[in-house]
Amino acid sequence: MDKVLSVEGLGKSFKQTRVLKNISFDVHKGEIMAILGPNGAGKSTTIRNIMGIMYPDEGSVTFHNHQGKSIPRSKIGYLPEERGLYKNVKVMDILLYFAELKDYPLKKARERALAYLKKFDLEGKENASVEELSKGMGQKVQFIGSIIHEPELLILDEPFSGLDPVSQEVFKEEIRNLANNGTAILLSSHQMNLVEELCDRLFMIHRGQKVIYGSIDEVKEQYANFKCTIIGKNDRITLEKIPEVTGVEQNEYASVLYLPKDVNVSNWLKQLPDHLDVHELKVDRISLHEIFIHIATDQDLVPEVGDVDA
Amino acid sequence: MRNSWKIAKWEIRRNLKNKSFLISLFITPIIFIIFFTIPQLFSGGEEADSKVYIYDEIGLWEELQPLVDQEGYLNWDVEVTTENLESFKDILVEEEDSAYISLDADSIMDGNISVLLGEDASERIISEARILEQPIRQIQLLEAGFTQEDINLVNQPIVFMPIEVDAAQTSTESEEAGFTDLLSQIVPGIFAGVVLFSIVISGMMIFQSASQEKKDKVAEIILSSVTTDDLMQGKIIGYFVLGIIQVGVWIGIITPVVLWRVGEEIPVLEYLFVPELIILLAFAILGYLLYATIFVGLGATLEDASTSGNFQGFVLMIPFVPFILFGPVINDPSGLTAQIASYIPFTSPAILIMRLSILEEWPWIEIIISLAILIVSIWILAKLAGKIFKVGILIYGKNATPKEIWRWLRS
Repeated sequence: MDKVLSVEGLGKSFKQTRVLKNISFDVHKGEIMAILGPNGAGKSTTIRNIMGIMYPDEGSVTFHNHQGKSIPRSKIGYLPEERGLYKNVKVMDILLYFAELKDYPLKKARERALAYLKKFDLEGKENASVEELSKGMGQKVQFIGSIIHEPELLILDEPFSGLDPVSQEVFKEEIRNLANNGTAILLSSHQMNLVEELCDRLFMIHRGQKVIYGSIDEVKEQYANFKCTIIGKNDRITLEKIPEVTGVEQNEYASVLYLPKDVNVSNWLKQLPDHLDVHELKVDRISLHEIFIHIATDQDLVPEVGDVDA
Repeated sequence: MRNSWKIAKWEIRRNLKNKSFLISLFITPIIFIIFFTIPQLFSGGEEADSKVYIYDEIGLWEELQPLVDQEGYLNWDVEVTTENLESFKDILVEEEDSAYISLDADSIMDGNISVLLGEDASERIISEARILEQPIRQIQLLEAGFTQEDINLVNQPIVFMPIEVDAAQTSTESEEAGFTDLLSQIVPGIFAGVVLFSIVISGMMIFQSASQEKKDKVAEIILSSVTTDDLMQGKIIGYFVLGIIQVGVWIGIITPVVLWRVGEEIPVLEYLFVPELIILLAFAILGYLLYATIFVGLGATLEDASTSGNFQGFVLMIPFVPFILFGPVINDPSGLTAQIASYIPFTSPAILIMRLSILEEWPWIEIIISLAILIVSIWILAKLAGKIFKVGILIYGKNATPKEIWRWLRS
């Protein structure tokens, strides 16, 4: 696959605080790559470094064959997390301004703008003032603004935040379309279900460092271990002695036992000790969502395969 | 630079399409014209003619009338009457806004002229009647047996005339010439002052614009296409052009009115287009650049201008400091205050425009030093403002404190 963007060994400090450390990933043509992480993990900082809004202290950002300040920013589209529009201007004026900033021919930009407004159910709004738009409409206009110039790489920072489910679908559909037409897409999000549905690969970041990097399938396979939730009063030592248990998490009545991904569930269930207090028992796989929560809440419970937590 | 120009064009277009900008653009000169012309209309209107009856026993008024009419001093609608004072009292009860002046022989000799004012007659008639003083005095003196020469001597005022040592020969003409000289200097000065005022006003709009950009959260989208320097420069250029457009409109509306009112006495345009104007405009433009860089940096530190603390409010007042110094500088344009203020970049543009408008001899050395200080200050402030702008414009949700700004400056 065509590498469009590659980030290598990115590091950045603000004063004494190190906000990014050794971040490396690639984005390929036509793929949707997610960058995930809790608030403050360094997602937006990574993206701002790619966009040249900040420059990294260490490492490099390569877009095609360009590096650093020579990156042609007119080929990249960007929807920042903190975004808005000028209030007292017309929708079409602001879209054409964004296109002009990217050196995109204005005539083509106007056609594209009209087509996208129609697609996003905003037909006839081109002469409306931005302040007349609802929040959702405004977000659609911002989205159009980020793709008006047919970028080769599209960076979306939290594109779904604040969208209603209908608009979310519209955005998802369009992001998929763009990727199918060859645009490389890097998006950050909190919504794991959307990421699981939409993205080809993901990069999870916490405290400025890589936690997980790989395709969704790889990650699922690697991390989709089983876990068994038991409601009942049980001794931690007893639970840890059960074969194949890699980790135990307990609170009052509920205990969660982590199991390897290749465990044979029915065989494993037969090995449970007789004196176990079971009011309820549930076996399921760990989801991306849970991995995310664990990382975000700093419970270092994403068990490496084969790593026994005793 | 090309990107700066795109930003500038956008700021210009955006404002020219903005109703409130357009309204203030046209309202300001119209208000000026109203203030300039209305008082004149009123004072002209007040001088409606008063009806004055004159009892002219000795034929004095007949003699004076041609002179008075020619000079146009009096707004009297005079009617010569033969009625005496007593009988006129009744008439003035009816004609409340009329007056009666009794120029009978006795009154003239003892100098007590009776003036009868109707209820509503203007008090001004009394003071206007003083125009009769000189002719009456003449009659008195003639009656007392003085010759015409004696009278002329008495009437000759005594004048103390200052004669400057080095300009002794031309002293008599220079009075008139000095006034026109001053005017010919003040006209370009006023023009440059208006230019400075207009672009400083539009410079304050930069502050609004930078702060608004932060509030609307558009900055980051723009910065994904252009650098912070481009954005900052673009704003400075854009608002400079807006300021110039504003001056153009103001001057375009006001000039015809000024020419109409005073054009005959003062050749305004002739005085305006002189080489000195270039220096004055240079100060105006440098002044703009100085304030604009400060404001653009400051605007980037504020999300909500209405909650700005004392610090930012204080900085916004800087362009108005020269007004405080207006009095001392006008009193003594070569004085210490004026000189010091000429070397301080924040006051020098306005102060030098003031001083150069009234000084006959331009202090060229001071001008050059002052220009140099201004240019260096602008360069340094642009660097500092760039640092503040770069960090400030991307911080959301709060206003920066002076402490934070200081930290950004040092980084």
